[in-house]
Order: sequence, then structure tokens, then C-alpha cells
Amino acid sequence: MTLPKNVYKAFEDIVGATNISDDPVVLDSYRYSLAHTAIHLGPYYNTFTPRGAAVLLPGSAEEVQAIVKLCNKYKIKFKASSTFWSAQGYPSEENTIQLDMRRMDRILEIDEKNMFAVVEPGVIAATLQAETMKVGLNTHIAGSGCSCSVLASATSYFGSGPSNLYGGWFYDNLLGMEWVMPTGEIFRTGSLGSDCGWFCGEGPGPSMKGVARGFLGAKGAMGVFTKCAVKLFAWPGPESLPVEGTIPSYRAKLPDNFKAYTLAFPSWKAWADGVYTIWDTGIGYLAHRQFNMFGRDLKFAMVKILTDPTKTLGDLEEFLADLEVQEVTGQMKRDFQIVLVGMTPRDMAWQEKALDEILARSGGWKVEAMNVPEIHDWALLYLIRLGHKNLNLVFGGSYDGCFGLPGSADFGASNAEEAGQFKKEWEQRGAVVEAGGDCQMGPIGGQGGGGTCLWENFTCFDPSDKFSTEGTLEFFDAATEYGIKRGWGVGMEKWNGAARGPDGKTTSKEERDKMHLSAPQPNVFRYQHKVREALNPNNLGDEYFCRKN
Amino acid sequence: MALEDFAAEMDRCSSCSYCKWMPFDQIKSWRFAKNCPSIAYHNFNSYSARGRYLVARSLLNEQSETSDTVRQVVYTCLACGSCDVSCKGCRYNLEPLEMVRELKSHLVEDGQRLGEHLAIIESLRKENNTMGAARSGRGAWADGLKVKHLPAEKAEVLFHAGCRISYDKEFQKNARFAVQILLDAGVDLGILGEQEMCCGGRIYSMGYRDDFTRLAKANMATWTKSGVTTVVTSCSDGYHAFKRLYPKLGSEVEVLHTVEYIDRLIKEGQLKFKNEVPLTVTYHDPCHLGRQGEPYIPWDGVEKKIKSQVVVYEPKKPRYNGAWGIYDPPRDILRSIPGIELVEMERIREYSWCCGAGGGVREAYPEFSTWTANERIIEAGSTGAEALVTACPWCERNFLDAINGQDSGMKVLDIIELVQRAL
Repeated sequence: MTLPKNVYKAFEDIVGATNISDDPVVLDSYRYSLAHTAIHLGPYYNTFTPRGAAVLLPGSAEEVQAIVKLCNKYKIKFKASSTFWSAQGYPSEENTIQLDMRRMDRILEIDEKNMFAVVEPGVIAATLQAETMKVGLNTHIAGSGCSCSVLASATSYFGSGPSNLYGGWFYDNLLGMEWVMPTGEIFRTGSLGSDCGWFCGEGPGPSMKGVARGFLGAKGAMGVFTKCAVKLFAWPGPESLPVEGTIPSYRAKLPDNFKAYTLAFPSWKAWADGVYTIWDTGIGYLAHRQFNMFGRDLKFAMVKILTDPTKTLGDLEEFLADLEVQEVTGQMKRDFQIVLVGMTPRDMAWQEKALDEILARSGGWKVEAMNVPEIHDWALLYLIRLGHKNLNLVFGGSYDGCFGLPGSADFGASNAEEAGQFKKEWEQRGAVVEAGGDCQMGPIGGQGGGGTCLWENFTCFDPSDKFSTEGTLEFFDAATEYGIKRGWGVGMEKWNGAARGPDGKTTSKEERDKMHLSAPQPNVFRYQHKVREALNPNNLGDEYFCRKN
Repeated sequence: MALEDFAAEMDRCSSCSYCKWMPFDQIKSWRFAKNCPSIAYHNFNSYSARGRYLVARSLLNEQSETSDTVRQVVYTCLACGSCDVSCKGCRYNLEPLEMVRELKSHLVEDGQRLGEHLAIIESLRKENNTMGAARSGRGAWADGLKVKHLPAEKAEVLFHAGCRISYDKEFQKNARFAVQILLDAGVDLGILGEQEMCCGGRIYSMGYRDDFTRLAKANMATWTKSGVTTVVTSCSDGYHAFKRLYPKLGSEVEVLHTVEYIDRLIKEGQLKFKNEVPLTVTYHDPCHLGRQGEPYIPWDGVEKKIKSQVVVYEPKKPRYNGAWGIYDPPRDILRSIPGIELVEMERIREYSWCCGAGGGVREAYPEFSTWTANERIIEAGSTGAEALVTACPWCERNFLDAINGQDSGMKVLDIIELVQRAL
């Protein structure tokens, strides 16, 4: 349904005629297949998010404020998104206004001395990183990769990634925010709220970080964040990445104070021991179980393909039959990647020595095949820039994560093998890619740089193949049931199952209430609802922010 | 192919938006990180490759109907292929450029055409050129040149001038000079003069496949009649058409851009520079010489799955990802000219920013086309270069027209002009 003409005109007066559209074909380009990275939703064949009522491209916080006030006047729901990585960025109800924040894409400030940057929603991590490197600084990049909005990752959704280890994740890094609240008031948080600048998220002004985003973020359901500051950290490398090679096998040869290793361990206990000791020792710049997203059986063959621009997926079977590839694949079953970065040569030497000692104590090893220059330099660039996260979708076109829960290194390590074995049944049925069961990937290090890991077991499938999507959905339901039975909890595959139903639309209040009441801690949802009621009295965001009276 | 043949791709495109940016590994600044002029200018998702997949899906599933908006969304694609390169940084089973071309053809076949494009088609059908000029004047650029005229005479190598050079007087001296260099090197060279026809490349990128096929077949027949085994052109559009599109219709001639031939002559010692050209220059990679200039590899196969759900092709499908286009010959020429300092822009080679002239955009959306050219001129200026050098008359024309409307000291030069100054 389109907006009444007078309402459309009122929005048009705010953003200008070239920045609003209700043309069906434009609206359909703002719909998202629920069979794509709709983590937390589950894949549904041939189902897209609902068509919005109009798309608006605001150019300033003032325009956003005027739009939100108008939405309150006419009781129109709105949903803002910056880079649209996943379904959360799209309306979950019809008659919703989609705000596309891409015109607000300025890096407003890089404060070299105080080590923070102020950005608008449309700034992606790749451009912020490129600019900060010029002054010897770096930004955290969320696990979804450098194509994603820094502001969205920092204010609205999770924001965990490989540099959690050294730089902290985006919950840690979020400083002052400019927030157009669901009522249309502009609220400035932290030090910004006391006219003291952007440098602090928790004060001396009002600390609303917990309310505005909390642990996971409200995913656009609690107003629109129009500016934010994020903490930066040291980059002791060149002002620009020295990229060479042929697409897609770009690589960067960095100075000797940069090293990317793939570490592997004889058992999951040894793996966890190694991780704990790395955290205790304080070494490392980035750490991620990255390439296992291709699956335990396929990952090294995929590394061989990706590091040779003449190869394609059509070469996969040939690589898998190669005895040397098989040997390395066997070596790196229980692995993760770590990037060491020395702030001085002495620091680097110490980190190298400490890592060798950690490996000696835990029985682990460096996978030598990952250290040959063309692979090492490729992996180093991959992990620093995170510019190939769309490889998540390389096999059949879609992936979705399951079994993923934040927890200690032991937690992930204790269920990785079993979860992988459980998944194999659906691999053998042919519904999902046969990748070896264990496709767990995620950061090694969480809040505050250590202490937690977060893994998701990548499940790759073909969204255009009904057998594949239905099989994946069946596996996800089974994975949830299995996780509950085994005491692991409900995995990523259902994190927001309460928000949307299989038609891509918001589930009914009754249905959500039923889920929340049966949750182990239902008071959390009561509290969240009270917060929502206070800040969003006209209920104009979508239902990602849970509710229960 | 038909639009329906891309239905699986429409599902498999994950809307990740990589198509809106240059390959992320190569990003060096906030200012010059975008790759697709169409989305950068119009901003709505529908103007990107990911959006066009969804637009195509919407049309195919009859969720929306063709309209002025649909025509604008589709025809503002420059067909520059930058989305294709960025997408294939990760994906092996999507062909966004091919899909958008198919979408354009779908609209053309459905009668959803633009008046500006129809004027070009009319000119082609009547006069065999895209310039709205009389066919009788096509060979005038070569008046006075002592070169064989095909097909009355026979020659191994044909110099194809192309529509822009044949009728745009500003570029004709470059063509004459290129021909003279080849003649001086002893090449058995000829031209078709007023019998030369458009290559069809530009209308192919507007969606007019039938007219393209007509022209291609006519050109190939003339080449056969003239004994031509090699075609040389200074036009990147022509190069792409002859190198990548004609072989699908059976062409087997060797295709070279002038920069390849001159580079070869320099490396073989047949061309030596005497004069210093004291100039700081930056080089613009034309889309159709660079990322779309990769050689054609025949393939006739089908999709299959391995490891249950990994989409591959039987036999292995050639992968065009922009890596193997013509990038080094023009740079090697510039580096070999005494006095020239080559400074690079941030968006180069396979991730070069388009000039804005392609896909019928120059003709139908001049404001957007000029904005696109201006973006490149600004980027060139940021390098400290005094001149923006390229190897395609369409790029040059768009840059020159854009610069004419502004206070810019940037010169726009064809690489041949610099070669001429150095000899």
C-alpha cells in the first residue's frame, strides 16, 4: 500500500523529490530474501521481506528528525538501514517507511590524539579503516565485514569481529551518539550530552548505551542513530595497504611486525588451553576461526582456489583429490587464525616467542602450508580488511549460522565436534553443502578483548533450490531442539525467531508473548518492554525489540 | 539467453552491496571508494546491480510493471562492468553484468525503449553509424593517407576507425597518426573508409541485440572478403565488440588495440622516441579495454552441483573477472616516453571508475553522464597530474565535454598524441 498523497508530499517536502520514491519497482529493491544471511530468521524459500510504503533518503539528522516526527503524527512505522547486510535492516511490516541512510556518509572527524572517529550511518568500515591508517590508527571491523556500516555495527547490531582481541568489539568502542529517538527528539549520549565532545560513551553526560543498544542492539527498532563516535586503536603499519596480486587473490606484503598464522591443535581441550593462554599473555591483534566457514573438509582446498586467480569452484574436486591438500586439511581440523602485530621489533619478537611457548605447552602447531608467502600475504590482507566476507555465500548462494552462542573457549570447544556430527546428517541428505560437519567460525575473543568466543556453524545452501532451503530449515529446527536438549541453549538460528514469521512479517503479539513467557528469564522481556513503552510510545519501530507486558 | 535464465541468480544474489564499491582490499580513501556511478548518483538500491537483480525479479514475477522508473533504472546502467568485478571478488556463480544486459534486451524486446536510443538505432539502420551522420562522410578522416582501401584492395590488417573517430574531427588526427605508425612499421594495412560500419558495441550495451548481430555479421563478411586476419582499432568499444562479442558469432580474426600494437613495436625496437615530453599524466582505463577487454573463451555447458549444493559448471566455465584486460601496454608506452611521469589514480585497472559515456547513458542521461566524467576528472586532479590520458575516443569526448563546462586546468589527451609528440 502506498502513502496517501498528502503524507507523501509532506515527506517529499522534507527530503526533496529526488530522495523519495514509492514506485513499486524501487520498493522491491528494498526487499530481502529470507533465504539469505537472514541469520536469526531461518531460510524460507521464495519469501521476501514485505514491500515498504516508501523509501526515503535523508541527508541530515534534522531531516531524519522531521521524518520521525511526521511518522509519529501519522502513526507510520519506519525502519532505518545503512548498508543492508541482513534482513534486520528491512521493514517487517507493510506500510512501513524505509529510511536508506546512504546519503549520510561522511567521516566527520578523526581525532588522532584521542583516538576516535565520528561517523555518519553510511560510512563503511573499509573507508574508515583506509582513512584512519593514514594517521597510524585502525578501526574495529564487525564480523560481517568491511562493507558494513560502522555506525550500524556500533549502535544497532552486535558488532563482534576478529579485532575484538586487541581493539575491543563495537559495544566496547561505542562513544558518544546522536540519536533521533522514536518520538523524534534528538538525544545525545555520553560526553556529547554534556557538550564535552564525543570521547566517552558513558559520561560525564547521560549514559544510555545500555538502553539504546544493550548487548545485541535494537536492530533499528528504537529510532535512528545519525552520528556516533567509535574508539580507534593503534596501527603500526603503512599509511595504505600495499596490495598486489590479481583479483580475487589480492595480497599485502606488510613489514616484519605483521604475521598471520593458522594455529592448529591435537584436541579441542588443547585448542581451548591455547586460546586461554593467548588471552592471559595478551598477545595478538586479530584472532578468528575464519576459513573454517568453508567447512573442515573444504577449507584448505578453498584457500588454494582463492589464492590462485585462475581457479574457480570448478577446481574444488580436483583440489580435494590432491594428497597434499588432504594432508594439510587433516592438519588444520581444530584451528584458528591469529595475526600478531608488533608495536616495536622487540614487542614482535616477544609475541613470537610467547606464541611458540604457548604452542609448545598446548601441543599446538603453526600450519606451515598457510605460511607460504602467497597464502600468508593473502590471509593477512583478508583478516585485516575483512573485504571478502561475501565468501560466506560462495557455494550455493546462501548461508546461515546455527549453534552459535557466545561463551568461554571451553564452551565452543566442548560442542564443536558433536554439533558438527549432528549437522552431517543433513549434509549427507544433500540439503546443505557437504563440508565436514564442523563449519564453526567466529572471533577468538569477545568483550574486553578476551574471555569469550562466538561461533556459528555455517550452513551453506542454494536459495533457489526448494529441496535445499526446506532441508536447511528442517536442520535448523532440529539444531534448536538439539541445542536445548543438550543444554547449549537456542542457537543463532533462532535468535530473533520471535520477530518475524515464515512470511517475513512481524509475528503476532500473542505468539511473541508465548515465547517470552517460556524463556528462562522472562523478566528481561518485561523490562525491555517497559523501556520500549517509555521511549517509543507510538510503537513505530518494528518488533525486534522484544515486548511482553 | 532470456531473463528467465537468470532466475536462479536473482535468488542467489544476496544483496550484499559489494557491487556498489571497488574491491574492498584496494580502497585507499573515503573519497574514491565507490565504483558504480549509477548508484553513486541516484542513490536508491534499484540503481545498483543488486537492486537490478531485484528489479528483474519483480518484473519477471509480475510484482511490478514496466514504467518510466523501470526504464530509468535499467537504462542508467553504463554497462561498465565495475559491479561485475567487485561481485566476483567473492562469487563464482553470478554474472551481474550479463544479467543487466539481458534486462536491457528484455525491455527493448518488450518495446520499452528510449527515444534517444531509437535515434541512434535509426541512424545505424540508415547510415551504419551511431553519430547521426551520412555514411558517405565516414572515410573523410583518412583523406590524403596513402593506405589501402578495402575491400577493393586486400590487406592482412584492417584499421577500424569506429564511429566516434570517423565523425569527431578532434580525434581524426590521432587515427591518422596511428595508421601512419603502423604503415611505417611495414604492416600490410588497409581501411574500409566509407564502407566501414559501426562495430555495434554501443548498441549491444543498450540492449539492441538484433541490430548488433546484423552489424557484426556484415562486418565479418567484409573482413573475409578483404582477406583480413587482424583488426586494429583505437576505439575501446570497438575492441570489446570485436574481441569479446564477435567470436560468439564465429569471428576468428586477431583483435588488437592500437596501444597493444604500439607497445609491441616499442618492445621490438621498431619505434624509438626522440623527443622529451615533460608532463605529469595519469591514465584512465577504458572499461571496454580494461575489465571488459579480456579475451573470449568459448564455452557451452550446463550448471551442476557438487558436494550436494556447490554450484559449478560442466565443463568448467571461463571466468571473466576483469583481471586479464589490457592494462599494462598503455602504461608501458607512457613509461617509455622520455619526460613523462605517470601517476596513478586510486581507481585503476579492473576497478577503474567509468567515464560515463557507455551503455547509451551519454545520449539519454547527459547530466548523469557528465557528473560521472567530472568525478573522474576530480580524481585525476587529486593525483597532481596535468593531463588525463586515455585510449578511447568515447572516454575522451565525455571528459572533454565535462571539462568544457568547468574551470579545470586538466588536459585530456589520447595516448597516441603523446606518442606523436615523442617521435
